[in-house]
Amino acid sequence: MLTPYDFQENLQQRAQYIRNRLQAGSPVIGISYDNGVMLVSLRRRGRKVFEIYDRLIFAGIGNQSDVETIRIAAVDFTHQEGFVRSPDDVTIQRVVGFALSPALKKAFGDPFTAPFVFRGLFAELGAAPDRDLFYTLNYDGEFLQNSAYAVLAGTALAEENALDYLSQQLSGVPSFETAIPIALTAWGIARHSATQEDEESVSESVARDALREVLGDASVEVGILERETLRENRFRLVPSEQLEPFLRRLG
Amino acid sequence: MIQSRHDATDNAVVSKMNPTTAGDFFQLLQAYQARTGTTLPLFAPTPASTAPAHEALEVHGTTVIALKFAGGVLNVGDRRATAANMIMYDRADKIIPLDDHTLIAIAGAYGRAMEVVRYLRHAFKYYARNQLQPMSMDGKLQEVSRALSANLPNALGGIGLFIPILSAYDPNTDSGRIFFYDVSGARFETQEYGAAGSGSERIRGIFDYITRTRGPFSQRPLDEVLRDAILMLDIASDLDSATGGVDKILPTARYATREGVFTVTEETLREIVQSIRGRNL
Repeated sequence: MLTPYDFQENLQQRAQYIRNRLQAGSPVIGISYDNGVMLVSLRRRGRKVFEIYDRLIFAGIGNQSDVETIRIAAVDFTHQEGFVRSPDDVTIQRVVGFALSPALKKAFGDPFTAPFVFRGLFAELGAAPDRDLFYTLNYDGEFLQNSAYAVLAGTALAEENALDYLSQQLSGVPSFETAIPIALTAWGIARHSATQEDEESVSESVARDALREVLGDASVEVGILERETLRENRFRLVPSEQLEPFLRRLG
Repeated sequence: MIQSRHDATDNAVVSKMNPTTAGDFFQLLQAYQARTGTTLPLFAPTPASTAPAHEALEVHGTTVIALKFAGGVLNVGDRRATAANMIMYDRADKIIPLDDHTLIAIAGAYGRAMEVVRYLRHAFKYYARNQLQPMSMDGKLQEVSRALSANLPNALGGIGLFIPILSAYDPNTDSGRIFFYDVSGARFETQEYGAAGSGSERIRGIFDYITRTRGPFSQRPLDEVLRDAILMLDIASDLDSATGGVDKILPTARYATREGVFTVTEETLREIVQSIRGRNL
């Protein structure tokens, strides 16, 4: 028999278990720039940034299969809604708030099912940069809305540190060229703080060291949704040739 | 309370018990219908009409043209929508991108066609996003066949006949390809060009004439082929009342290449129309 006390302890244990497993996840930096939104991350193996719908992209950390389950659920929901109603009715807050969050909450609170080891960042492309939206979605169904920029990282402190850095660096709406180096440094900050948990703030040079270290056996993945484009699909992964100059400048 | 929690699980989009649909949009919609108890208009065939259907089957007043060019395929269409001898609408878009490599040109019942096009757009993109690889060209062609054969009852009922031309950039051959369909979903590939609609019958010979005098479309540059296409559309509108002209309202022109699907700008179209008129005057 479960008592209320057990229930609370059970939730805490589950949360602790998930947090431990999320800690090593490769952070994701989201920035809204003049001609679109970008999600920037580093990856060792599989893809990291995914297209969900015409104006919606996503990246997650955690158990691969859980990330995949959430991704497929989001793709299913958006396409069903986009066809039955209209693509205009597929919004980030409907997808995250109504389609995904309650199910995550339910799996987390149910002691008889395995919880999702998952934390995700969704980005929606608006008509103008001030209409772009970011939602971070947590393993327990909690979600948070951001505009202009957002961070997904293994620990709360890492997210805070990277967000601080982004708020200092991004005063107005950046261009693609200015946003990429900022995103890469922010990634380094988040990475370093997630692994060295005691440090309150991380300097740029330490962040770049952390980035360089990982770059040895990983590659940068930048997924963008373009605001103005002649192409039918707004989403594309930025080819590595286009990212190389930015990485060379890191030294 | 507990009952409603169970309902919530059953309806939840995230359910580890549900097998994924392998990127099949049709299956996704079937599951949606089963879950909600609704029938989507696409899957609701109209009862066969008692009137003889053959008259209705011949109504497809328009002209859409698909031409290959070096490195891709071009589609051009007029913008007139007619019902019998009435002009209903003069800004219909009959050339629609389905994804970054595929265009569909529509002749026939516009309403049904748009519903099927909406389905196909979602089906192709759903597959690509779900499976993380684009649907193969043959897969796309098959999907169009499936949608057309599902629409057959409507076509026979007299309200749903439409004949699409599918144009695609084929990355395997680095060239454009053109396919046309019959009403039951049978698919045929053409070598150089395709056309559909009432106006297309009248200009059939021009395709051959141009091919024989100026060489195959597939080996000529886009700007030349585009000019030929606009000229043919202009001739079609002179010979067929259901085909809109190119002067008052500019036609639609889109093309697919390795880089994706692009729309020809109004500026370019206007220049071509003006240069055609200039020569004729």
